Amino acid sequence: MNLREYMGSIGTKSILQISKLEKSYLGNNGDGQRTLPVLNDINLEVGEGEFLTVIGPSGCGKTTLLNIIAGLEGYDSGDVVLTGHSVPSSGQDIVMIFQEDALFPWLNVQENVEFGLKQRHVSKEVRKKTAEQYIKMVGLTSFAGSFLHQLSGGMKQRVAIARGLALNPRILLMDEPFGALDAKNRDILQRQIQEIHGQTKKTIIFVTHDVREAVCLGDRVVLLTHTPTRIKRQFVIDRPRPRRSEDPALRGLTNAVLRDLKEEGDFGESEPENITE
Amino acid sequence: MEKANQKTSQSKNSRQKIRVNITDLIDTVIFLAVIIVAWQTIFWLKFYPAFLFPSPSTTLNTFVRLIQTGILPVAIYTTGYRLVAGFALVMILGIAVGVVMVKFKRFGRTMASFSLGLQAFPSIAWVPFAILIIGLNDYGILFVIVMSSAFSVMLSTYSGFRNIPPIYMKAARNMGARRFSLLLGVMFPAAMPSLMTGIRQAWSFSWHALIGAEILMASVGLGAILYFGSEFVRMDQIMASMITIFVIGLVVDKLLFFRLEQRVRSKWGLAS
Repeated sequence: MNLREYMGSIGTKSILQISKLEKSYLGNNGDGQRTLPVLNDINLEVGEGEFLTVIGPSGCGKTTLLNIIAGLEGYDSGDVVLTGHSVPSSGQDIVMIFQEDALFPWLNVQENVEFGLKQRHVSKEVRKKTAEQYIKMVGLTSFAGSFLHQLSGGMKQRVAIARGLALNPRILLMDEPFGALDAKNRDILQRQIQEIHGQTKKTIIFVTHDVREAVCLGDRVVLLTHTPTRIKRQFVIDRPRPRRSEDPALRGLTNAVLRDLKEEGDFGESEPENITE
Repeated sequence: MEKANQKTSQSKNSRQKIRVNITDLIDTVIFLAVIIVAWQTIFWLKFYPAFLFPSPSTTLNTFVRLIQTGILPVAIYTTGYRLVAGFALVMILGIAVGVVMVKFKRFGRTMASFSLGLQAFPSIAWVPFAILIIGLNDYGILFVIVMSSAFSVMLSTYSGFRNIPPIYMKAARNMGARRFSLLLGVMFPAAMPSLMTGIRQAWSFSWHALIGAEILMASVGLGAILYFGSEFVRMDQIMASMITIFVIGLVVDKLLFFRLEQRVRSKWGLAS
């Protein structure tokens, strides 16, 4: 399937439209203030239930883009529209899972997952049931009463995913959520997030700087350029799931994305020997 | 499997804990015995006349008599009441001003450096000021307590709130936390480890200040017993009151503040 056909297929069930998005920061380059353009004319449409991965050279404004979609940061011009509402309208429609450890160490696993529901004044029983359901989905039922320091890095990110899912957001944003994990845990979580996506049909926008991860997880990969960031190219990954990042069938696509990323002067996380294949 | 490992390590820990507590207890008993024997020996050697240096048994007798006559229970009650009232004031004022300091940054910065000086200021030095401005009464004593330790709570609130990792606030806002739920559900618990340190320090400062103020300002209370003991050369009473002060300090710190702090620290997985 090429990109045009693919975009045609999501056309009617589009959930997020970003058009002509511009954003710049005030920076200091030694001789006074000046504006540093970060996002330059970003146009992106995301379909309902789509698993979209975003990749780009480091420091290219991937996180800024996610923050804007989440309503955590403002923008200069353009439109970010969540089927009808202009972002930021309500934060809870869009929930973000962070790269850093953003779970609350004073709460146990169960209480962490319930936190967002508590903010919405959901009743105690419903809160408990919902939390249990998502803790089960990420396979941590026996750790519901544990505190965070008793969990490994991979388990913590699974709690973070459960905490995000429990709010039943329309879009789940993930900012390099597996970036700090070791290879084994990353593998497990890559499989698990695909299962969860299959079960919940959530729209996921997943930022990563690992090309293999982007290709392995995404229905579509959006490749960003250096700052000022534009969309360089998009790839449709039309392969059956569940996929594994070492799957040879993905190698061709991975190399195609890598070649384009290399033009931006960044090799991503993947080892260089993958490029020469 | 991970769960099973966790369980066995937990039960092993609790068994070890009990054993440690028993050896701790034995050590404490031996330590106390040595002190009492040394005390008795010094008494026998007659360095001082008996009325100036009473034996452990005389002190114990006085202790019992002070309890029977109701002098000691009333003193403990009065001192305890002042401590609770004073410490409650310290907490309320300290946390309130600390939050205001976080909210208004310039005030916070100025107040922080100013109160570092006040924190080191000897609480006893407030007594003459309190006597003249407020008078020789409980309010004067409360004033001395507040001036001695509100700054500890204030500064630890201030630094605790300022050092909250921004990611917690970002995540909480993203999940819909606003205003009060953000303050009570995220900021306070996130600042808790720092706050607990300040609270425990404030308790210790309050206790020092209270006994000091009672010696100079009160007619009832553990501090007052010390004062009258020295006026009427009743060393046995002084000793009995000192031991009571020591025990109360130890019990409150060990059973209340130490435990509270440990609970916070173990939740967070901080080294204890």
